[in-house]
Amino acid sequence: MAFNLTRRKFLQTASLAAASVPLSKVVSASTGVTKTPLDAKGTFGDKTVVGGICEMCFWRCQLVGKVRDGRLMKLEGNPKSIDNGTAICARGNAGVKLLYDVDRLKYPMKNVGKRGAPKWKRISWKEALDECGSKLKSTVDKHGAQGICVFPHGASAKYPMHYFERTVGTHNVSEASFFQCRGIRDTAYVASIGKAPGEKIDMPNTKVLFFIGDHLGENVHVSHIKQYVQGLQNGAKLIVADPRFSASAAKADIWVQIKPGTDTAYMLAIMNYLVKNNKYDKAFVEDHTEGFEEFAAAISEWSLEKAAKECDIPAEQIKEVAEMLAANAPHVGVHPGRHVSWHGNDFQRQRALACLAGILGAYYVKGGWVPAKGPKVGGVSWAKEDHGHKYDLNYDHHEDEKVYPFNPPGTPTELIRDCAISGKPYPIKSCVVWGQNPMQTIPGQQKMKDLFNAMDFVMCVDVMPTDVTMWADILLPESSYLERFDYIKKGTQWDLSKEHQQYISARMPLVPAMFERKDQIYITNEIAKRMGHESKIPVKTIEEMVDKSLATANLSIEKLKAEDGIHIQPGKDPYGIPEDFTVMLFNEDIEDAGYPGAPTYKPVPDVPKGYARLLYGRAPVHTFNRSQNNVWLHNAMPDNPVWLNDEVAAKLGIIDGDTVGFVNSEGVESATTTTVKVTPGIRKDCVYMYHGYGSANPLMTIGVGAGVDDQALITKLAIDPETGCSGMRNNFVKLIKDGKVLEIQA
Amino acid sequence: MSLPDTSQDIAAVYRFLAQCMQYPDSDWMNEEFFDVLYNLLGTLGGIEEGVEIRKTINNAEDYIEDLQVEYTRLFINGVPHVVAPPYASVYMDKSLQGTFAGNTLAFYREKGFGLKEDADLPDHIIHELEFLSLLAEEKDLTGEEEFLTKLFRPWYQKFHTRVTEEAHHPYFRVVVMLIDFFTKEEDEDGFQPNEA
Ligand code: SF4
Repeated sequence: MAFNLTRRKFLQTASLAAASVPLSKVVSASTGVTKTPLDAKGTFGDKTVVGGICEMCFWRCQLVGKVRDGRLMKLEGNPKSIDNGTAICARGNAGVKLLYDVDRLKYPMKNVGKRGAPKWKRISWKEALDECGSKLKSTVDKHGAQGICVFPHGASAKYPMHYFERTVGTHNVSEASFFQCRGIRDTAYVASIGKAPGEKIDMPNTKVLFFIGDHLGENVHVSHIKQYVQGLQNGAKLIVADPRFSASAAKADIWVQIKPGTDTAYMLAIMNYLVKNNKYDKAFVEDHTEGFEEFAAAISEWSLEKAAKECDIPAEQIKEVAEMLAANAPHVGVHPGRHVSWHGNDFQRQRALACLAGILGAYYVKGGWVPAKGPKVGGVSWAKEDHGHKYDLNYDHHEDEKVYPFNPPGTPTELIRDCAISGKPYPIKSCVVWGQNPMQTIPGQQKMKDLFNAMDFVMCVDVMPTDVTMWADILLPESSYLERFDYIKKGTQWDLSKEHQQYISARMPLVPAMFERKDQIYITNEIAKRMGHESKIPVKTIEEMVDKSLATANLSIEKLKAEDGIHIQPGKDPYGIPEDFTVMLFNEDIEDAGYPGAPTYKPVPDVPKGYARLLYGRAPVHTFNRSQNNVWLHNAMPDNPVWLNDEVAAKLGIIDGDTVGFVNSEGVESATTTTVKVTPGIRKDCVYMYHGYGSANPLMTIGVGAGVDDQALITKLAIDPETGCSGMRNNFVKLIKDGKVLEIQA
Repeated sequence: MSLPDTSQDIAAVYRFLAQCMQYPDSDWMNEEFFDVLYNLLGTLGGIEEGVEIRKTINNAEDYIEDLQVEYTRLFINGVPHVVAPPYASVYMDKSLQGTFAGNTLAFYREKGFGLKEDADLPDHIIHELEFLSLLAEEKDLTGEEEFLTKLFRPWYQKFHTRVTEEAHHPYFRVVVMLIDFFTKEEDEDGFQPNEA
């Protein structure tokens, strides 16, 4: 197809004049390009913009942006930072590529196709918000507030989450960061020391670091890594329990190549050895613990030999670990970990960690667990309202007690999904997904699809078209962390032994939001207005929210800007134990709730014949699926090779670099393949891969189909009985090569 | 023989092409608009193209929604993937707001133009066509040629190919054909060199 004229001919003829006259009648009067005063080029030169706070992961390092004529050219650590300093990690650097990712969501869209197979149509914000508001309101009118379920994640999801929980009044909120990640850790420590532990180990000043599965180095958070490396440089010993020769195992003084799921048995044996041999901190136990007698009795069965057998490690090695801890106590860092939703016996493991630190006296001392004394900054959000227990799925009305007594905030995911799919005990008919990708964060993808299919309405808010967004009716584009105000980041200098300082910073945009992306305050408030809650709106804009928070510390956005984005003030000495600090070695409340009051080991299902246990973890250059479409990070690590033991590989005839797929013990096959990394650095009964690969969403043009999605293979759900959180490492796989399923001989 | 001064007419053509690339909306995409489009196509010997668009539109239940869905798929976010983002940098730098976008904005500035607050990115096809129109109004033929050669054609060719190959709706195939026609270089004798 071509026109039968040349341009030149056309332009020379009278036809142009004839054709062009009506053209101007049908064009809009204004243009985006417009006459401007002539400015010298230098006027548009490079600027350093302060106030950035990274969110390529949750650590939230402080940034500055190098901006050239409105374009963000480069991100750097804020030189004023006493946390990450000028350093940022590979992902932090690659934030530029997220900002300018062409696949990012740009405008509100309506799905005029089907859920799961969408046909998108760009719509106006008004239309989108009207639809969200009216659909959600109609759910509340018909089914009550509990008819809405919410899956939020990240800094921007707090405000909407509070709206739905506190103002609308639904209990049905499930954050992956709790129920599929660190919630167990937090509630187990609350039940043990009265506080969530964070990652507050005084690593630079420790003598021994004790890790269970922590793989720092592959798991990168800048100031955390600075602390870790400083500790090792200062001569700290490192004990790592991991079935895999992880980056930390590679630096360890003792690598305990433990059988997955048995960590609690290992720690019980260490503690029993310390107690039996009088190698625990008696003064600390006397002054700062409760229930020592019951605790000691409960763990007394755990001899070194018994644990050695259970954990498949030498008894001598457990003893060596115990001796090393005792010799260096109390300056011992027992790391609480972070992602701990492993096997469905995790609450007890986390309790064991807290108690181990307790009998070593490793709280509030150099090198132990030390919460830094940070500055106080108040928050602003929707007012709390009491909505009772009536529609709380985690409440057993017959027994008049919680179903999962030690649940983290929100409702355990499975309770919500089961209710939404079955309609019992009540209907859940609308779903709000905000910054979370439950297709890859929550095990059991089919169940998630069933949930969406059971809804009258699904809305998603995100920056990227992640897998879950394909299930939305309305999809709203959120401004990214580089384009908006929000989070207040505060803390202290990263090395607690140095001059005590505190810092306060707030996230500020480094560049304005492009296209029609909006922030969470705008979106939530507009929905709230349409649901009849206008009078309860706590702040009108995101700037107002940040300013109100900062005002509680006598600061403001303007003041922070004038201080290069970070306010620094004198700090306080964090060492020294508060008098009332108590470690509950035996916790009667836990026992009263029907669970063991002392840390207790519960065995996990064994690997079936022919299979290997599927393990997963973090890659240093990716933050799970949040970064899978990032072109720089993708180039740095394009897929997730599966680690396979060398002897097992030899028996299977697999060599390094072979391409394989997977089938799990429930018959679920991976949709994609990946390469094999043959190594002696993994136990024979496990395989391992980095999490967050293999997106199924074709809109993620970089990440789609790259590597294997481990989550798709996690179909067997273990539920941690005390907390209701998911356990995800009881899934087993076989390899598929050239269409043939291979039996693994461990 | 001196050429007739066609700059205002060319300016009108560029503005019209920019309009054609706006997100479809019944506010402007009405019968009058299509009549003007068919008329222009007719003048160029593209009657058949016009008929094809008319047929598709007449057969549609809601032709505006069809065009909106297609526009979203082609230029915003689509399944299996966004076909042809209308930004130069995507083709030249594999990213939004790359060097090419920067160079484009710098060129606008050199000529005394800039972008309004609510404008899209500088290298969006609509703004580039608007800019060409403004240059034509100012009779800056050299600027027009330079912009076309250095900053428009290099990416437009790739964009054009993608839309031509992947568009389901004839409207967009025809519009990119029009843009191609009015921005393509010709050799001395008026022959348009083949793409190769
Ligand atoms: S550790 Fe890296 S990704 Fe995480 S906040 Fe810091 S710079 Fe960003």
